[in-house]
Amino acid sequence: MDQLTDEQIVGAILNGDKDLYREIIKRYEKKLSHYLLKFLSDRDDMEDILQVVFIKVYKNLYGFDVGKKFSSWIYRIAHNEAVNYLKKRKSGRISLDDVEYKLIDEKADIRRAADKMFLKEDVEKVLNEMDIKYKEPLVLFYFENMSYDEISDILRMPKNTVGTLIMRGKNSIRSKLEEINKKHER
Amino acid sequence: MNDEKLENSIMGKIKSGKVKLKSKYVFLAEKLGLGTAFALSMLLSILFFNLIFFYLKETDNLKYLSFGKFGIFAFLESFPYLLVVVFIILIVLSGYLLTRSDVSYKKPFGYLAIGMVLLIMIFGGVLTYTNLGQSFEKQARIGNESARIFFKPLTDIRNNGMAGVVFEKGEDYLILQTPQGLRRLETKSVENMPTVEKGQFIITVGQGGQFNFKATKVRLTNKEDIPSIDRGINFKFGKFDEKNPNIPPELLQFSEEEKSCIKQCFELKNGPSCFKECHK
Repeated sequence: MDQLTDEQIVGAILNGDKDLYREIIKRYEKKLSHYLLKFLSDRDDMEDILQVVFIKVYKNLYGFDVGKKFSSWIYRIAHNEAVNYLKKRKSGRISLDDVEYKLIDEKADIRRAADKMFLKEDVEKVLNEMDIKYKEPLVLFYFENMSYDEISDILRMPKNTVGTLIMRGKNSIRSKLEEINKKHER
Repeated sequence: MNDEKLENSIMGKIKSGKVKLKSKYVFLAEKLGLGTAFALSMLLSILFFNLIFFYLKETDNLKYLSFGKFGIFAFLESFPYLLVVVFIILIVLSGYLLTRSDVSYKKPFGYLAIGMVLLIMIFGGVLTYTNLGQSFEKQARIGNESARIFFKPLTDIRNNGMAGVVFEKGEDYLILQTPQGLRRLETKSVENMPTVEKGQFIITVGQGGQFNFKATKVRLTNKEDIPSIDRGINFKFGKFDEKNPNIPPELLQFSEEEKSCIKQCFELKNGPSCFKECHK
């Protein structure tokens, strides 16, 4: 079973083997919960949305273009649901675990802006205040470890635009952390 | 909800038939519908671009701008607003449908939009070599409501400017053949009135209704510059013929008694003999 690709599993489900959808759920449940929690503050809400995502994915399996990556497609559906949720409610709060904090600290090179050690809470605060336009590609790139190509598939935008948004997001984090740093110094 | 719970809950719904796969024909129909709607909105955008281009090129609308500030109202009055508004709506709709289609997948919308607009302009421009615009204009003149509604500023009486052929020249007045019919034009207040001859095309700005238009500026023009007006006049009066008898001025300036008599003729629908009687 593990050797089957997502696309092959989808093909088999469409040929009548509904049980195989369990495998899709197993493969994506953790990944999608992790992703959704970056936008949704409430864990219960996240679980409800996750269920909606899996049901939507199943219902729309015939709409999946087999020539494209299934992972991008399922993330796209999760992304749409998260955006719809955020439209209805106040923006969710990002909470970073230590690994994630280290990741963004190293990858986004935030300390280059000022040779100071920032608190994890500062980075969380900056990420939470960030426009969703920049937050989404940053989350996908840094926390979901996705390539520009995959992000461009999920967010339906050209690769160059993904690169630009990530770069601007990164710069925005740096400059906001610099401001926080100055405040700390005073 | 733990992982297994979620998994079982979803699988339970699938197995019980509460959650079903949407038919592949639904997606096929969606794709076809989207494609058809996009093609249709593009075709209509091309048609409307062509009509706007045709209108601005062939009618007197843009010519009023040559009068400077005096021509602004005439320009605004004869501007084809509805054509432009519908065209903009169609462009926006085409753009929206384009973003929903597979063609735009991961491509920068800016370039696609520029490409789309260029395509509309090129095909709309090519259409000017056909007589589509003229056919549409003809339909508007013969009273086809769906065509007339878009060309209303061309077919309706205007109060701030007009163009036409000099039918009669008198002291301080001109009678013009226009696509809307004969119109009397007072030229008393026109500075630098050009010498006009019968049969000459003129364009004028001023103010007033059908029979009491007070011109402020008059300019000579050629029928080639305003072919739509020429066609409109031919449609209304037939080809201009020098041998046409003049309209007796008294026909244009009715007395109050005559006016009420004519009004009655209209109301009773008594026809031409009734009008003759009024004039005796």
